[in-house]
Amino acid sequence: MTLQIELNGVNKFYGSYHALKNIDLAIEEGTFVALVGPSGCGKSTLLRSLAGLEKISAGEMKIAGARMNDVPPRKRDVAMVFQSYALYPHMTVEENLTYSLRIRGVKKAEALRAAAEVATTTGLSHLMKRYPRELSGGQRQRVAMSRAIIRHPKAFLFDEPLSNLDAALRVHMRKEIRALHDRLGATSVYVTHDQIEAMTMADHVVVMRDGIIEQQGRPLDLYDRPANRFVAGFIGSPAMNFIPAVVEQDGRHLALDLGATQARLALVETVPAGASVTVGIRPEHIRIVGAGQGALDIPVGVVESTGSATYITSATQPELMVVETGRSAAVGGELIGLAIDPAQLHLFDAETGNRLGIGRAHESEKFAPRAAPHPAAATFSPS
Amino acid sequence: MKRILSSITDGRGFDVGLVSLPLAFLFVLSGLPLVYNVVMSFQEVDMFSLGSFSRPFVGFKNYIDLFGQPETWPILLNTAIFVTASIAGQFLIGFGLALFFWVSFPGASWLRGLFLVSWVMPGLVVGAIWNWILSGDFGVLNFLLRETGVISGNIFWRSDPSYSLWAVIIANIWLGTSFNMILLSVGLSGIPKDLYEAAELDGANAFQRFWTITLPMMRSTIGAIVALGLIFTLQQFDLFAAITSGGPNNTSNVTQYWAWDLSFRQYDFAKGATISVIMIVFVMFASVVYVRSTRHEVRG
Repeated sequence: MTLQIELNGVNKFYGSYHALKNIDLAIEEGTFVALVGPSGCGKSTLLRSLAGLEKISAGEMKIAGARMNDVPPRKRDVAMVFQSYALYPHMTVEENLTYSLRIRGVKKAEALRAAAEVATTTGLSHLMKRYPRELSGGQRQRVAMSRAIIRHPKAFLFDEPLSNLDAALRVHMRKEIRALHDRLGATSVYVTHDQIEAMTMADHVVVMRDGIIEQQGRPLDLYDRPANRFVAGFIGSPAMNFIPAVVEQDGRHLALDLGATQARLALVETVPAGASVTVGIRPEHIRIVGAGQGALDIPVGVVESTGSATYITSATQPELMVVETGRSAAVGGELIGLAIDPAQLHLFDAETGNRLGIGRAHESEKFAPRAAPHPAAATFSPS
Repeated sequence: MKRILSSITDGRGFDVGLVSLPLAFLFVLSGLPLVYNVVMSFQEVDMFSLGSFSRPFVGFKNYIDLFGQPETWPILLNTAIFVTASIAGQFLIGFGLALFFWVSFPGASWLRGLFLVSWVMPGLVVGAIWNWILSGDFGVLNFLLRETGVISGNIFWRSDPSYSLWAVIIANIWLGTSFNMILLSVGLSGIPKDLYEAAELDGANAFQRFWTITLPMMRSTIGAIVALGLIFTLQQFDLFAAITSGGPNNTSNVTQYWAWDLSFRQYDFAKGATISVIMIVFVMFASVVYVRSTRHEVRG
C-alpha cells in the first residue's frame, strides 16, 4: 500500500488562534478516513487545508508523494463535496458535471459522454437538463458527488456532506457513499461531527479536539480501547457513563462515588492503590438484575423505549444510563440492581483523563483491512 | 359598515388600504401628468390656451413637425451617444471598483463608502466642480493632459463643438459610477463563496472563474443596472444645465434638456410634450427590462 496523503507536523494559525496543532496523519491509498470531532475541533480546517483552500502555517503536506504546501487548489487534483453542495446554480446538472472537463479543454462530445456515464451510475440520467434549484436535497447531493467522480481525482474530500439531509436519507446516502468509495477504489477523507457516520463508513477514524488528534485507529478499536476520556465519551451512542472512583488499598477494587451511595467494583487488573480515577461503563455493557443482586443499586428515573431497546436513566447523581435490549419491566422510582462485567470497564486518570492500563479481554483480535468490496457495493442503487 | 371596519382592522381591507395609498399617490403625481403630457403632444398649445384642457386636436402634426426640424436627428444622436457612453463608462468603472473592493483589504469598506460622496452630491454642484476641472484656460484636466504630453494645446471642453458632449459625459460617468459600484458590490457579495472554492478545485483559474461564475451569476444584477442606468441617464438634466446648456449650437443638446428648453424657454409646449412622449417609450422599455431581470434571480 502506498501513502496517498501524508501530513507531517501540520500547524495552522488564524492570527493568534491555533487551529491545527502538530497534526501527523498518514492515509493509505484506497482507505476511507473519517475526521470526527465536535464543532471547532479543526476537522474542517484540516480538510480545507488538504484541498488547498486554507494555507497551512507550518509542517508538510503531501498528496501522492508530491509536496502540496504551495500548490494552488486547482493543481492538487483533489475533488471536494461541500456541505452546501456548492452546485453552480446557473448551470444544468449536465453542465455542472462537465464543468471541470470543459475547464481543462476536454472536447465537448467526450465530456458529454463522461457525464452520461457517471450519471448512469449515480442515477441522474433523467435529470441532466434540470437546474439545481429544481432538484431535491438527495438529488443535489448526488450531483455534487458525480461532479467529483467525473474527474477521477487523487482523493475525495467530503465536508459534512450529509448534514443537510433528513435522517432516513442520511442513512441511505451513508451506504451509497461507502459503496461508491469501494467501487472506485478511491482515497476518501470524510469530515463529520456524527460519530455514527464515522464508525459506520470509515476504515480509519481520526478523533479531533481543539486542533489536536486525540486518537486514530480502526472504528472498533476506538470503541473498545478509547485512549482517553474524551474519545470514550465521544465514540458510542448513547454515551459512556462516567463515575468518579478511588482505587482501594488492595489495588483490585474500586470504591465508586455515587453521591449519596457507595459501591464496590472488582477489577481484572491491578492498578496503583489510592489513585483517583474515572470509571467508564458503556450503557450497553450493564445488565439489569434484581435489587441487591448486582454491583450497585439505583433508583430508576426516566424510562425511554424505542421498541428495539430501552434506555433507563437513573435518578441519582451522577446519572447513569443503561440500555436494555427489547422491552424492559423497569418503572420509574423502582430500585434496580446493576451487574457490571469487570472486563468491560474503562479506567481513566481523574486528572489527565488518559486511559489507565486496563484492557479488554478480547482486544488482541486484529482485523485485516477490508479487502473484499463492501457488501453494499453490489447493491448500489440510487433511489 | 361594521364588516368593512373589521376588514380594515384585521383582514384584507388593511392590505388593500396599504396598497391603495401609494397607488393613489402615484396616480395623482405621476399617472395624471403622464397622461396630460401624452394628450398635449396631440394638441396645439400656445401661451393663451395653456390654462385650459380643451385645445384644438392636431393629430400627429407635432411629431411630423418635430422630425422636420434640422436639429432633431443630431439631438437624438447626441442622446444615443450620451446614454451609451455614460452607461458603458459608469458600468465598466463601477464594476472594476466593485471587484477591487470585493477583495477584502484593510479599510476596504471604509474606502468604498468614500466613493459614495459623488452619489450624494447634487447634480448642479457636480456640474460646477466639473466646470472648473474642464475649464479651457486653467482647468486641471487640461493641465494634466498637457503635462503628460497627451495634448499640445488646451482643449476648450465646454465650448468646442467636438468636445462639448463629452464634457457632460465625463461628468456624468463620475456622478454615476459609485451607484453602479454599490449595486454591483451587492450583487457580488450575493454570490456564495463556496462556488468559487468548488470552481477552484475543479481547476478553474481566476480568469475562468470570472467568466464562468461571476459574470453568469451577476446577470440579473447587470441587467438591472443597465436598465436603471438608461433611466437615470435619460433623466440627467442638471449637468447639462450646469456645464454646457446644450450648446454650442446644440452639439451637446440631448432630448431631456431640449424638451425643457422647448417648453419653458421657447414656450412650445406641444413639441416639448412630444419629445417627452418619445422618451417615455424608451424609459418604459428600460423599465420592462429592469423588472424582468430583477424577477429572474438565479439562486441555488
